Amino acid sequence: MTPSTETVPLEPHSVEDEALSQIVDAMWSSYFGHVEPLLPAFEPHDVEGPVLCASVGISGARPGLVSVVVERSGAAALAAALLQEDEVLADDDIHDSLGEIANIVGGNVKALVPDAGALGLPGISTSQPLPSSAARQAARLDANWQGHWLTFVVWLAAPAHAPAHERTHTPTTTRSED
Amino acid sequence: MRALVVDDSRAMRKIIAGALRKLGYETVEAADGAQALTVLGEGPLPDLATVDWNMPVMDGLTFVTQVRANREYRAMTMMMVTTEAEHGQIVRALAAGAHEYLIKPFTVEALEEKLALLGLLPEVAGA
Repeated sequence: MTPSTETVPLEPHSVEDEALSQIVDAMWSSYFGHVEPLLPAFEPHDVEGPVLCASVGISGARPGLVSVVVERSGAAALAAALLQEDEVLADDDIHDSLGEIANIVGGNVKALVPDAGALGLPGISTSQPLPSSAARQAARLDANWQGHWLTFVVWLAAPAHAPAHERTHTPTTTRSED
Repeated sequence: MRALVVDDSRAMRKIIAGALRKLGYETVEAADGAQALTVLGEGPLPDLATVDWNMPVMDGLTFVTQVRANREYRAMTMMMVTTEAEHGQIVRALAAGAHEYLIKPFTVEALEEKLALLGLLPEVAGA
């Protein structure tokens, strides 16, 4: 089966591209209002080059994963903007800032998932972690900020009452720069 | 006035503490609930604690519960500042003893509004 990045809504009023976009917009205006706006892409655009990925897990009836992938240089610029620092930041600060972005998006996504459990702590990696095999891509937002591409992705397991073809899905393969 | 900012993210501690200092607060920080309890034990008691929910070592809900169990800390106001946005979670936090709840992402204006409701804006309190 060819891995698919196609976004398929799981059910009405669930997490979809528009909801993800609104969450990211709210975060951007709250914490990045002093810098250039985030420009959504009209088509999927994979982040290229060395990347950093921050992700948080969601437990519960429909476990999932929320991640943000950005070029390393973009992650450094994002952290500097979030912290309003002009100096070069340490990796810890860059990872912490990207993790908090994933945490904020993940927490607000979790609020849209029926019977959600706990939100995990943010994890940082140099490639996008694979969600569980039961999860499928529920929403995706590709955007550009100051020339840096970012991708936000929400993976969620299909609800238990979903048809069998919706509960089995091969997740997107990951691209590691390591 | 003095505020304790409890959050495992340095970036978020900086954002919250910076906003509080602009409003006239002195701030101290802790990276989890256990560190925050240590800060409280060392005194003096802050007027306000902003508390994240999901943190390693000791989460915010446990911290709030432990603070509320200690009569010596009764004078401190606690405001959850967290990404946990479900109604049920808000109810849990308030039942555990939090006085207010602010969902991330938040604006400085929203923080200021919550503090005004609590009578904890330094200008308001000093008036």
